[in-house]
Amino acid sequence: MKEQSNIVLRILLFIIIIIASGIFLYSIPSIVKLVIIAALLAYILDPLANLLESRGMSRTAATVAIFIGIVFLIAISYTLILPLLLNEIKNLKTGFSAEQTISLVSKLEQIIISNLAFLGVTEIDLTGRLQETLSHTGEWIFSHVLDAASVITSFILIPFIVFFLLKDGREFKKAFINIIPNKYFEFTLYLFYKLSAQVGNFLRGQFIDAAIVGVMATLALWIVGLKYYFLIGLFTGIANLIPYFGPLTGAVLATILSIIQTGGLQMAAYVLLAFIIIKLLDDAIVQPVVVAKSVHMNPLTVLLVILIGGKWFGILGMLLSVPVAGFLKVVFNESIQNYRRYRA
Amino acid sequence: MSKLWENIFRKKRHSDRIEEILVRIPVFQDLTPRELKSIKAILYQREYKANEFIFKEGDAGLGMYIIFSGKVMITCDNDKQILAELEEGDFFGELSLLDESPRSASAIAKTQCILLCFFKPELLDIIERNPKLGCKILLKLAWTIGERLKSTNEQLRALNCRVGKNE
Repeated sequence: MKEQSNIVLRILLFIIIIIASGIFLYSIPSIVKLVIIAALLAYILDPLANLLESRGMSRTAATVAIFIGIVFLIAISYTLILPLLLNEIKNLKTGFSAEQTISLVSKLEQIIISNLAFLGVTEIDLTGRLQETLSHTGEWIFSHVLDAASVITSFILIPFIVFFLLKDGREFKKAFINIIPNKYFEFTLYLFYKLSAQVGNFLRGQFIDAAIVGVMATLALWIVGLKYYFLIGLFTGIANLIPYFGPLTGAVLATILSIIQTGGLQMAAYVLLAFIIIKLLDDAIVQPVVVAKSVHMNPLTVLLVILIGGKWFGILGMLLSVPVAGFLKVVFNESIQNYRRYRA
Repeated sequence: MSKLWENIFRKKRHSDRIEEILVRIPVFQDLTPRELKSIKAILYQREYKANEFIFKEGDAGLGMYIIFSGKVMITCDNDKQILAELEEGDFFGELSLLDESPRSASAIAKTQCILLCFFKPELLDIIERNPKLGCKILLKLAWTIGERLKSTNEQLRALNCRVGKNE
């Protein structure tokens, strides 16, 4: 009887701790976001630090070397890429004024009105709406992505957290494992091992894949002659981290912008063709090589998981929903498999 | 003040003893003092009460255990049959460093004991970070398992001879 009440007490305590942790983390979303991003970056950079260690460097020296490399990359980005990016965002912010585009949109407006008159559609100011949306897009990018205060905080805090996670990650893991009771100790390590093999490889693969797709999209859009080739290429790369939705969003955005830029459909056709070729190359060559097919989830589950992630946590939720679902799947499967053994 | 020094020296003695025990384990025998230190840094240290299960037959195994102090019983058939009794400096479960098949026997702490645990993820990590050290450990691990196989073969041969004589 006493043993039973002890178990109930333990379960209750566990639930209270989980809820309290949840509430605490929920109250500091910006810090949680920073830590998640930093942890992901540290996880992605870990094999690089291991590689440098295998060349005879200490862990600290390897971490410092990676950071010097990153600073070098940032310096290059600052002098070469940032001005280009800012210019494109500025252009997008001021919207568009090409006469051809306005006439194209007006034609489209007339077609819609004439065909949908029976539904009572008489006026739909498409041109105004489009200009308004584009102007808002530019403002949104400025206010959300390039907000000075958040950029400075992130630029200081993220590298700081990444540095220590990369350098002392093993010690953190060891300290965590040391507080696990003997009964679940080896099982916890087993879970870590399985997670690292499945979710870790998936994450690293997705990151490399996104970078390659981003470069391919930028090059393709530059060849086609799209004005905002760098911005859309970068966006396509980042969006590619979200399965299914990412590549489609990039293609749709580039197509719309190409129509707006030229006022015709010729460039749009080239843009679409470029995205189809990129998708084929990605599926046939890049993904089989870099992305480990290790999360083993069917497409419908992936879609649902992304939608739920997006609904609850926005873009970061969409990015992280698949690895988090993979994590939960591994924990659930392994726990069920081992439940009987650890029950006694 | 003397307690502080006592505490510091106790920690030093404990750390030295871990190295002494590691040197006696075949898997770590050929390592340099520096390599031994890096192994010591990745070992987990666990304390078990008397009669506490370390692992059970059929559990997913992930690595080997080295007895730092105390005694451990290896049993099978739901703990009905005692296969071996191990003490300080002995090790068990090393096969799990290579394959992920379930544990073939249970391990129970016979007395209160401290174990040093060396697991597969750490071995893989060493192979990635320090291939030279990883190769040394793998070679010695293969040698240890080979020795166990030879010993099992000899036992089997002796058993066959005895069965032959009885017939």
